[in-house]
Amino acid sequence: MMLARVADSLYWLGRYIERAEHLSRLSTVMLNATLDQTDAGAEAVRIALSAVGETELKAGAFEAAKGLVLDRSDPNSVVSSLSRARENARQVRDQITTETWERLNLLYLKVMDRNAGRDFADNSVTFLHDIIADVHLFKGAADTTMSHGESWRFMMVGMYLERAQLISSLLEACFAEDSPKVNDHLALVAMLRMGCALEPYLRVYTAEIEPRHILEFMVFDGDFPRSIRFATSQIERHLSELARHVEATGRAAPERLAGRLKARLEFADVGELEAQGAGDLLTTVANECARIHQAIYETFVAYPLEMRLPA
Amino acid sequence: MDTGVAAKIQDIDNSPSLPMTGAAYLPGAAYDEMIAHGGDVRAHYAALQSRISTLGAGELADRQRMLERSFLLQGITFTVYGADSATERIIPTDLFPRILPAHEWAKIEAGLTQRLQALNMFLADIYGEQQILMDGVVPRELVLGAPSYRREMQNLYVPHKAYANVCGSDLIRGQDGEFAVLEDNLRVPSGVSYMLANRDASKRTFPSAYREAGVRPVERYPDLLLATLKSMSVDWRPNPQVVVLTPGVYNSAYYEHAYLARLMGVPLVEGRDLVVHDNMVYMRTTTGLRRVDVIYRRVDDDFIDPLTFRRDSSLGAAGLFNAYRAGNVVICNAPGTGVADDKAVYAFVPDIIRYYLGEDPILPNIETFLCREPAQLSHVLDNLDKLVVKAVGASGGYGMLVGPHASAKERSDFADAVKADPANYIAQPTIQLSTAPCLVDGRIEPRHVDLRPFILSGEKTVVTPGALTRVALKRGSLVVNSSQGGGSKDTWVLAEENGHGNGHNGGGHDAR
Repeated sequence: MMLARVADSLYWLGRYIERAEHLSRLSTVMLNATLDQTDAGAEAVRIALSAVGETELKAGAFEAAKGLVLDRSDPNSVVSSLSRARENARQVRDQITTETWERLNLLYLKVMDRNAGRDFADNSVTFLHDIIADVHLFKGAADTTMSHGESWRFMMVGMYLERAQLISSLLEACFAEDSPKVNDHLALVAMLRMGCALEPYLRVYTAEIEPRHILEFMVFDGDFPRSIRFATSQIERHLSELARHVEATGRAAPERLAGRLKARLEFADVGELEAQGAGDLLTTVANECARIHQAIYETFVAYPLEMRLPA
Repeated sequence: MDTGVAAKIQDIDNSPSLPMTGAAYLPGAAYDEMIAHGGDVRAHYAALQSRISTLGAGELADRQRMLERSFLLQGITFTVYGADSATERIIPTDLFPRILPAHEWAKIEAGLTQRLQALNMFLADIYGEQQILMDGVVPRELVLGAPSYRREMQNLYVPHKAYANVCGSDLIRGQDGEFAVLEDNLRVPSGVSYMLANRDASKRTFPSAYREAGVRPVERYPDLLLATLKSMSVDWRPNPQVVVLTPGVYNSAYYEHAYLARLMGVPLVEGRDLVVHDNMVYMRTTTGLRRVDVIYRRVDDDFIDPLTFRRDSSLGAAGLFNAYRAGNVVICNAPGTGVADDKAVYAFVPDIIRYYLGEDPILPNIETFLCREPAQLSHVLDNLDKLVVKAVGASGGYGMLVGPHASAKERSDFADAVKADPANYIAQPTIQLSTAPCLVDGRIEPRHVDLRPFILSGEKTVVTPGALTRVALKRGSLVVNSSQGGGSKDTWVLAEENGHGNGHNGGGHDAR
């Protein structure tokens, strides 16, 4: 049993944390790739910006990365995401452990520090590395200190839903039919890094960097925590647990939608995907995630009172 | 917050400042908590004082920084909105605890228990038979005309007659070393989270002195609070659902609301989480509506129910008060308790204690002149330069004249205001608050302090052996309110008398 408002905050806490981590990683890979004056560098910048919905590079890669990280007027930047994550955490301060709260608060104070811009300019790679490491500490603290009950599950649903959407837009930037084809070895490596997938990929496919393998790995791998199949199966798992105590859920129940998406990914394979083009499936993933989001609201948060009043 | 000041007689600005921490600590004319009049360290301060004297200025500064860091990390902060950004500030906190020996605490505890019992009986009476008004002990119009009097509470059943479940009274120690009650806070007193956070911090700052001193623990406060709240509904719901009602995350005491909810393990709700249906109160949960039995509300009376009190309030729940009247939910503290901490009613508290309990008050009041009485009014007007005059309805240091500090014009303007509406004013002599050592800009200096202990009252009345000590951090200032540059420090209540610095200690004692 938990307050609907609290569930909402925890769900968004999970989403914002995941967003902050992903954007930090896109930025650091992008900055790293542009150190070499190659086509691969330019390609990496295009992939990263296209994955966050920007079509063209307005200024240099450094300014673009700085905007993604520190622009307070951009609601999706790392600093905005972390501020919102913390604001949500503050609203449910009684629901999360002190250990978890302190990690997030520390990280927030770091990115909000008046010297943050200077630190970023001095050594952006270290700055971003530290943010990602701090997000990992936050997730670790949540995992090891919070009860894996309702609060934690709402956070997990938010995190995996955000992850499924972020990874599918990253993949769309590379593999959708209307995106430029990416064949450059270094650009593909950079793309794997953006998905935090390089090392796990190498252990499965060795250093043969092939678009087909990348697609297979990042969509279908059952063990890799950032694959879409992994994320959707986590969403389904947590939602089924959460839905167990809710009576009277309709056809649009979130756990049913999540189960359907999961099944779809279970029974597809990369051959099919290549034949039909990856774009379709990736669009389906994005749309289904949006529907699940909607259904979570209707079921757990903003349900009509008439249905739930005592007889 | 409320006023924590009577005012001041003599500046400590004139006492010499100390160049370094190793040098002697020289209190001013006020009673000092650590140093007795002759210059000796008071016995109960011996352990701490000897520890401090071994630490250099650098080490003290390090500890102060560590303390501030831990407050910042925990989010015990308020937000300051600047031109282009918002920054988080911690509430100023001093690292030296204020120490109270067992015998002094015993008197405070007995005095506060007696006082709250009498005040609860008074509330039960004025919202019931009104015997005390019939007997003319307290003027009828004073009570029934007070803005904090809630007619809606008349003849309403309150379990155990416990109206004020949580009370934080402000005590001050005058020059004679005796404690007196400056005011009672029976509405929604705050500060208890600072008492607990300060304790947590001081255990890390002075672990060995803490152990050696034999300090009574305050950490049970959250369970005692929960037990008190639950006791308010035991006679009709065996396992009540308790919630904490907060105005929300932008309230300056939000940290405390979340802290108490977390430590009690109960939901922290906002008005928008509550639904009233058929005179029952529910909260919206992920699995539907769930009945609420006891509401520890941290929202003022005026805002808890737009149907009964202020209509423009969105902080409460519509219909809440009716559910309360119907006996389906308990609101703690009860609405209308404010009438018993009214500044004019305050003057009658000693009489109230005698009337209901037949005992003399253990803790004295500050002498108070009611301008509504013509004889007292003329005394007040003749002595404006020596008195503190307060408007009855105001708090937080507003509507107040501190005679010795005011200009002749301010005094004459205030005299006109008092003459125009004498019933709205009271006056008290200026009292020099006691001082305690504080670390200020790297030096140990005396600063004025007050004392806010917390008393819980449900089936039983319990005083937590500890308190929030508020500190006026400005040199010579007597204003301890957090809104006016006040800070706080931990308060150690000792389990037993220590010997005269001979190492005899009460280490390991748990007093209860």
